[in-house]
Amino acid sequence: MANAASGMAVDDECKLKFLELKAKRNYRFIIFKIHNQQVVVDKLGTPAETYEDFTAALPKDECRYAVFDFDFTTAENCQKSKIFFIAWAPDSSRVRSKMVYASSKDRFKRELDGIQVELQATDPSEMSFDIIKARAI
Amino acid sequence: MYGGDEVSAIVIDLGSHTCKAGYAGEDAPKAVFPSVVGCIDQMDADDDKENNDSETNNNNVDSNKPKGKRRLYVGSQALGFRRDHMEVVSPLKDGVVVDWDIVDSIWDHALKDCLLVDPKEHPMLLAEPSSNTQQQRERTAELMFEKYKVPALFLAKNAVLTSFASGRATSVVVDSGGGSTTVAPVHDGYVLQKAVSSSPIGGEFLTDCLMKSLESKGIVIKPRYSFKRKEIQPGVFQTVDVDFPHTTESYRLYSQRVIASDIKECVCRAPDTPYDESAYSNIPMTPYELPDGQTIEIGADRFKIPDILFNPPLAQTIPGMDNFAEISPSVRGLPQMVIESINRCDVDIRKELFGSILLAGGTASMQQLKERLEKDLLEVESPQAARVKVLASGNATERRFSVWIGGSILASLGSFQQMWFSKSEYEEHGASYIQRKCP
Repeated sequence: MANAASGMAVDDECKLKFLELKAKRNYRFIIFKIHNQQVVVDKLGTPAETYEDFTAALPKDECRYAVFDFDFTTAENCQKSKIFFIAWAPDSSRVRSKMVYASSKDRFKRELDGIQVELQATDPSEMSFDIIKARAI
Repeated sequence: MYGGDEVSAIVIDLGSHTCKAGYAGEDAPKAVFPSVVGCIDQMDADDDKENNDSETNNNNVDSNKPKGKRRLYVGSQALGFRRDHMEVVSPLKDGVVVDWDIVDSIWDHALKDCLLVDPKEHPMLLAEPSSNTQQQRERTAELMFEKYKVPALFLAKNAVLTSFASGRATSVVVDSGGGSTTVAPVHDGYVLQKAVSSSPIGGEFLTDCLMKSLESKGIVIKPRYSFKRKEIQPGVFQTVDVDFPHTTESYRLYSQRVIASDIKECVCRAPDTPYDESAYSNIPMTPYELPDGQTIEIGADRFKIPDILFNPPLAQTIPGMDNFAEISPSVRGLPQMVIESINRCDVDIRKELFGSILLAGGTASMQQLKERLEKDLLEVESPQAARVKVLASGNATERRFSVWIGGSILASLGSFQQMWFSKSEYEEHGASYIQRKCP
């Protein structure tokens, strides 16, 4: 356990939805939030939705966790997908919420088995589509 | 396990310059006072008598505690009052405790005089430097449980608290405080111990440099106790020097530093490019009024002093700081420290670390410091084409107290209450269990 971890609990629903995203590919993305001292599912995105829809679904001044299933084609013209974990902590959010999300992240991430790439973002430029593409390949 | 509904934890961050203490859940620490204490050896018989007399008078105001053969004076008020033969001593050396009696007296002052709480009733969260050893942590636990009888304790790392408080579990924390500057990479909430680097150049060193530099120009800072200032007519002041032959050298220095550090905070700003004597010889002077009424003018020093953070050998050009030459070869500038520290981390995370460099601590609040560090890092690091981003809270309080604020939020979280190292666990497993509970 990391030093100064918050001990936040994780709702089972988070793990179930994540498994669906991973195995059945039912969702494009899942956004999680911390509510009543546990991590719960906030929003779900259908497979038809795009990365823009996903970023638009993140609140401007509140922290969130999110997973995004990213489809891309490699240089060898091979269809692939990677699952991203994003810790969203915008500068304008309150210190309290930044602290809560950052100190609970390690524990929560461990519950989601199968994350391939992880990034943290404090403004939209840190999770632009180009960065996502660069990290995927 | 501690699990009360009413969480009224106390958070203490004992830094090398100031001690921050307050209630968990609040935005800023209630008590902020110097980490140094006044100390009078009780060897002299007549000295003893004198102190006993004074004790009856100001026992309520000061926190005078006889500790074995010496008496300690803690807190801004007790230190602000000059006493014969009073030495100013610090319990910390390089951020690590060397004198537990003094630390004990500081905690005592914070809890009983400043916060007015009974430690038996409040869980205690202490911030600790990344360099704290196992023995130090166990000693802390023993003292807290045995002497203060706290119901629960937690030790959180400075760097981790700062990192979390800015919403990042992975970052490089550049903590420039009073006594030292520490660069600590944090990954997923763990401090990467092997990559931590520190240097003795902190706010106090810069203050000393400024003082010596002013002295070399013939400006002497008179400590506040060494003169009396009266308004003889409206708007006209008269300053009379007072002589106290028994004042110790360390107290005189302490009082001068208080003033010099205010000058530094008021006028200094980091230069945009490395300091160059000739380029800054003609810059306009900035006035500053000393407590004794004389107005001094500060020119190039405004930029030269902060530049020492970036280029430590610059300190040797200041008359009176020559002894610095002995330690200087091992001391590196801020950008080099950051780069070295990051390069000691795993290759996979370096990019991410360069993208989130966090500034914290009192000295890091210096104007233009963030911009300069970012610029220097970009120049040196451009070949790696890494995204360099230096972050600092726009709010001065948040920047200065980021460690304390992080601790305050953490300790007030409902979910955190299961994480405490409780008194019963201490009684069952002993002090060494702290390593398991607070890794």
